[in-house]
Amino acid sequence: MGTLLRKSLFNLFMLLLGVIMVVPFVFMISASLKAPGEVFVNPMQIIPDKIYTLNYETIFHHKYYFHWYWNSFSTVVMTVLLRGLLVTMAAYAFARLSFPGKNIIFLFLLSAMMIPHDTTIVAKFMLYKYMGLINTHWVIILPAAFDVFFIFLLRQFFMGIPKDLTESALIDGASHFGIYFRIILPLAVPALITMGLFTFIWTWNDFISPFIFINDINKQLVTVGLEYFQLEAGKNYALQMAGACLIVVIPITIFAVLQKYFVQGIAMSGIKG
Amino acid sequence: MKSHAKASRRGFFSSITQWGYREKGAAWVFVLPFVIGFLIFNIIPMAYSVYISFMDYNSFKALNSIKLIGFDNYVRLFHDPIALNAFVKSFIYTLFYVPGLILLSFLVATLLNRAFALRGLTRTLILMPYVANVVAVSIVWSILLDPFGGPVNQLLTKLGMDPPLWLSGVKTALPTIAGINIWQSLAFQTIVFLAALQGVNKELYEAADIDGASRWKRLWSITLPVISPTTFFLVITSIIGSFQNYASVRMLTNGGPGTSSRVISLNIYEEAFTLNHYSYASAQAIILFAIVLVITIIQWKGQKRWVHY
Repeated sequence: MGTLLRKSLFNLFMLLLGVIMVVPFVFMISASLKAPGEVFVNPMQIIPDKIYTLNYETIFHHKYYFHWYWNSFSTVVMTVLLRGLLVTMAAYAFARLSFPGKNIIFLFLLSAMMIPHDTTIVAKFMLYKYMGLINTHWVIILPAAFDVFFIFLLRQFFMGIPKDLTESALIDGASHFGIYFRIILPLAVPALITMGLFTFIWTWNDFISPFIFINDINKQLVTVGLEYFQLEAGKNYALQMAGACLIVVIPITIFAVLQKYFVQGIAMSGIKG
Repeated sequence: MKSHAKASRRGFFSSITQWGYREKGAAWVFVLPFVIGFLIFNIIPMAYSVYISFMDYNSFKALNSIKLIGFDNYVRLFHDPIALNAFVKSFIYTLFYVPGLILLSFLVATLLNRAFALRGLTRTLILMPYVANVVAVSIVWSILLDPFGGPVNQLLTKLGMDPPLWLSGVKTALPTIAGINIWQSLAFQTIVFLAALQGVNKELYEAADIDGASRWKRLWSITLPVISPTTFFLVITSIIGSFQNYASVRMLTNGGPGTSSRVISLNIYEEAFTLNHYSYASAQAIILFAIVLVITIIQWKGQKRWVHY
């Protein structure tokens, strides 16, 4: 009896901790369904008496909101695909092939991971302007495609794939492209999902790159768009919250579905430290 | 003549198809696209920022009228109270953020490491802030922590407390930002700690139990030493991360009230993109990088004292 009580108390405590962590989201949803004047009414109602949908209707008629959505969505998908191709190819070479300078190049890539984004932001701005990338979505996609972090992760994963598999394929006359495409990639699906998931969430949530590199409001992505939306909504907090909800709901849904890969991915990256 | 051209073309063609089978050739095809892009998007910008920091590109002007001025931007930095203050603010922020993050994530990981019925659900709830958008999070926290009439202060007043000004207070702004960022990044550190805790050999605990070791003793002599490489990794990465908080600071306080939360990251972006002091901003960014590098090297050297591989 004593242990049962202790166990339920522990469950209750942990649930409480979890609920405290998501209070801001609960508030976000609740406020988005209230009339502008009711957000700060004391005492606060979590479930409003009357569901007020005008905030969402305002968003559906907003000039840019779904533009930003589409921009972000297409940018994210392109980033995932391009990064997926470039990173897996390079990771395969680092994991399985031998070529001169391999270790030096790898070490060089790793040490460059130390360079903070902030340090090079001015130079990047100048360079991208010179390359004609500023104010296009390629300014987000291309730099993100060449990401070292995931080379590191995937190389580790590829090295764990039994060598017998690829060596017997070589003897059977398969080329390295064939092995990469038909053996390595299919076996690495969990790692690929992890990479896709992180890339999606990070690109979707990125603020600095679109803020600095994209000027036109109709070309903007959701994160910076939301800031614009917030300023436009002024003191209408209920409307701000509705705008925030629709943007947060995408990564949270994806996360909820693919949580397993998310946890594995973080654990994988952390242990390598 | 004709057949000769054909033969050489076939030779070229077959040498291309051979690439896929020869290891070295294939390796270059696999690696070069990435390495070239990496040079363009990572290495050239780094070299170029060092170069810009020695120029006088401190106003909006034609690129051909820009001159090299040596270390002037660096010298100017040491006479600029706003920039120096921003460096100090960043250090203070780190002092709130890193210990808070490491301690809390370790605590949560320890709790999640137990077996209990609602484990899956609680883990999902705890991880959720990590995937939320920085702007959305900033908007909701600004409203929640509104000093006058915000739900948090309504509650505190009801409990008979004198509520703080949170993001609007000179003394409380920086710790509040740190708190919000801890809340948001907690998931990452927690999962890494959790993975490390699950990797601790159970036999060590069993042996300790036989010796009658107390809980604290077990934590102090088994858990902490065994997971110390993970802790080391997390401390290093969160210190590096703590200097790059432009997005959240900009959204939450924009450096205010006054300059009380104007961290160096914000200062760099303001100098560069509001005031067009491109060279001066780059010099500040290089100094920041150098500081982070030195901190990391010191930790690397110091790890022998407490990290057990």
